[in-house]
Amino acid sequence: MTFNHFNRRLHVYLGMALLPWVLMYGLSSLAFSHNRLFDKWFAVEPGWTVLLERPYDRPVPEDADLRQVGAAILADLGLEGGALGTWRPHQRRLNVYRYDFWSNVRVSYHLDEQRLVAEEHRFRWDHFLTGLHARGGYQQDSLLHDGWALVVDLVCIGFLLWSASGLYMWWLLSQTRRWGALALAAGFLAFVLFAFTL
Amino acid sequence: MFSKIVRRTHMYLALFLMPWIVMYALSTMAMNHRHFFEEYYGDKEAPLHIERTLVYDGIFPEGASPRQMARQLLLDLELDGTHYVRGGRNGQPLTVWRESLTWIRKITYEPDGQYLKVERREWRTPQMLEEMHRRSGFEHDYTAADLWGVVVDLVIVALVLWVLSGLWMWWELKVTRRWGGICFVGATLLFALFLATI
Repeated sequence: MTFNHFNRRLHVYLGMALLPWVLMYGLSSLAFSHNRLFDKWFAVEPGWTVLLERPYDRPVPEDADLRQVGAAILADLGLEGGALGTWRPHQRRLNVYRYDFWSNVRVSYHLDEQRLVAEEHRFRWDHFLTGLHARGGYQQDSLLHDGWALVVDLVCIGFLLWSASGLYMWWLLSQTRRWGALALAAGFLAFVLFAFTL
Repeated sequence: MFSKIVRRTHMYLALFLMPWIVMYALSTMAMNHRHFFEEYYGDKEAPLHIERTLVYDGIFPEGASPRQMARQLLLDLELDGTHYVRGGRNGQPLTVWRESLTWIRKITYEPDGQYLKVERREWRTPQMLEEMHRRSGFEHDYTAADLWGVVVDLVIVALVLWVLSGLWMWWELKVTRRWGGICFVGATLLFALFLATI
């Protein structure tokens, strides 16, 4: 097998293997790029439905590991499973999120009132797409979540390899060199111009 | 003829958009490994460094809104461009975040004493890549921002076109049908597994 042959096969098979992710990133980017339009189409009121509200007491020191605290709160509510996220907007409140691609539960712990409110977000197709797009990272304690993050890395490497292998294939096609060089130079110049004017 | 158009569109579009594709690949990796970079730098946000301080002797029009004040400040500082505004009502300090693909600046105006401070965020490549990744356009009154938004939409269209034209080209190559098909089915099953489980 020559390098040229290997390069072509790599380009095709990588494309076939990462196709669902490329399509997903393409379609979901629309929901980010035109979020106002999607908001008009998909917004539903009320966005959140209260699942439960109850008194609760768990100290949360300032330097606490919020992920640990969040996991413990979800376990107390019997809401384990899914991905976990936390956010402390201020010292008196801790938000814990439990989510998968299809659902999103938010638990707000009001520390000063010693009160918990769990709410579920209404399903929206645009949020489903942006959720797919934004999912990543190795911070979840789950093999499947790490697997997704690994595929995200593979997609990134895939894009870099497509660029490199595509450049090589273009260079071998002498009849497309002039227009290809023009397209490449125009793209590069436009990007540099944006970098200094935006 | 149709096949030739498909191949040429696939290639020229890729050559023009290559800087964006490389940027999106690298920035996605930076986001996927954000925890690593946070540990590496020792904090989540790059610090701000004071660039200049001055007494602002410009006069705002009677009843100027924070947005109008921010625009005037940016024009006078020769820093005009996409930005967002915080505060500035009822004599409160006004904060202007000047977005940029290179240097992000924070401009703080204190009406008491007409004190003006310009700070520049320390350069961190992973964070700048994230900034580029998140820029979508169409949200500001600047032509350059709208043009960036158009290119982002072009990348979206290109991703979908690459998928469709890639499928077409793969199907035309009889020798790669079997392994390409295996890659495609395997990837689709893996994607479905992730959808159902995480």
